[in-house]
Amino acid sequence: MKIDWERYVPPGINHKKEREWIIAGLVISLICSMGFLLSYIENYRALFWELDGEKGIIKGALMPDFVGLLNSRLYGFPVLALCMVAVFLYHYLYHYQGSKSIYLMKRLPDRFELWRRCLTLPLAAALLSMVIAAALMLLYFGIYMYFTPDVCLTPNQWEKTGSVLLGVAL
Amino acid sequence: MIELKNVSKSYHGKQALKEVSLCLPRGEIVGLFGENGAGKTTFMKCLLSFLPYEGEILLDGEKITRKNITKLSFATSEHSFFPQLTAAAHKDFYQMHFPNFSEKRFDGLMEFFSLPQNKLLAGFSMGQKNQFEVILALCQGADYVLMDEPFAGNDIFNREDFYKVLTGILEPGETVILSTHLLEEVQNFISRAVLIHHGSIVGDVSMNELEENGKNLMGFVKETYHYRADRVSKALSDLTGDEEREEF
Repeated sequence: MKIDWERYVPPGINHKKEREWIIAGLVISLICSMGFLLSYIENYRALFWELDGEKGIIKGALMPDFVGLLNSRLYGFPVLALCMVAVFLYHYLYHYQGSKSIYLMKRLPDRFELWRRCLTLPLAAALLSMVIAAALMLLYFGIYMYFTPDVCLTPNQWEKTGSVLLGVAL
Repeated sequence: MIELKNVSKSYHGKQALKEVSLCLPRGEIVGLFGENGAGKTTFMKCLLSFLPYEGEILLDGEKITRKNITKLSFATSEHSFFPQLTAAAHKDFYQMHFPNFSEKRFDGLMEFFSLPQNKLLAGFSMGQKNQFEVILALCQGADYVLMDEPFAGNDIFNREDFYKVLTGILEPGETVILSTHLLEEVQNFISRAVLIHHGSIVGDVSMNELEENGKNLMGFVKETYHYRADRVSKALSDLTGDEEREEF
């Protein structure tokens, strides 16, 4: 399905450039989030002893909590979502730049046209950003639970993650 | 018909319109005159529902909503087009949103004023921008065309051309409400003059009435505003002290 973005941004705005910036933001956030994997690998290795080719789990070694490893590595996505507030404001104020095209938008028979054109792209980007953040968190959690030896896991990982996320959200 | 009933509007306690009541039937070209800050622009913005107001405005007997707003078009010296769009793209946009948009009139007027179809509006001269603004308002397919100082920045030849074109293309049912300071220029092409002063309607006269009474528009305006003809000479003599010099 190809979206005609021209119909969902203020007329004359460079939506290709905006989409490029949003994609760049998502890629940077993704790269930042990969710090989790580096941190996980480092901590995973620290669980084992290795001597003359033999390998074993260090007695009493524990993997740090998932939420501790994740730390602020997914923050790029909510930050990008917050930046979309600025994009929305830019879209709205665009109607005052060089002319007062806001007068035309307010005279259109479709009352939602102005808001559709101001909101769609930033809202879609914010939602996409949060969905990717959630998907990555699930993926990283899966990696954490799958690869970490059971004896090194502390209990209630999901609950701990949930309570931290909820704490941040609240 | 546009009916205004006791329409008032104030900004931060200062009244811009004071209980304005007016009927504007179809088929008229109405000149709206008044000094800067008299309330002409506020009058138009209230008509277009851009501003909240007290009182009532009816458009063909109904309140102005999104359902009937297409009956009104608006050309303003502030411009309401998109500077980063071409004229052709504006045509597409208008066709998409205004079902009565007149493509024939648009193409005709674009050709008459030799405006480029595929150049961004930002690259137009001020005169061209004004022309394009008015073209859009005239082609929208509205019954009532509101124009707020549409020719500010256009040269006299340009304006004269426009008056001629305007009178030539208007359909009998189309109404134009034109706010301008250019009284003498428009007096031969308007059918009615409405004068606003400090937010109140202080004069409302048909051009036929003026003609019958042997008056012209400028005379009517000066009379209505109690214009003091000796104002300039008195100010000059005060400034230069001519009278004192004469005494010596």
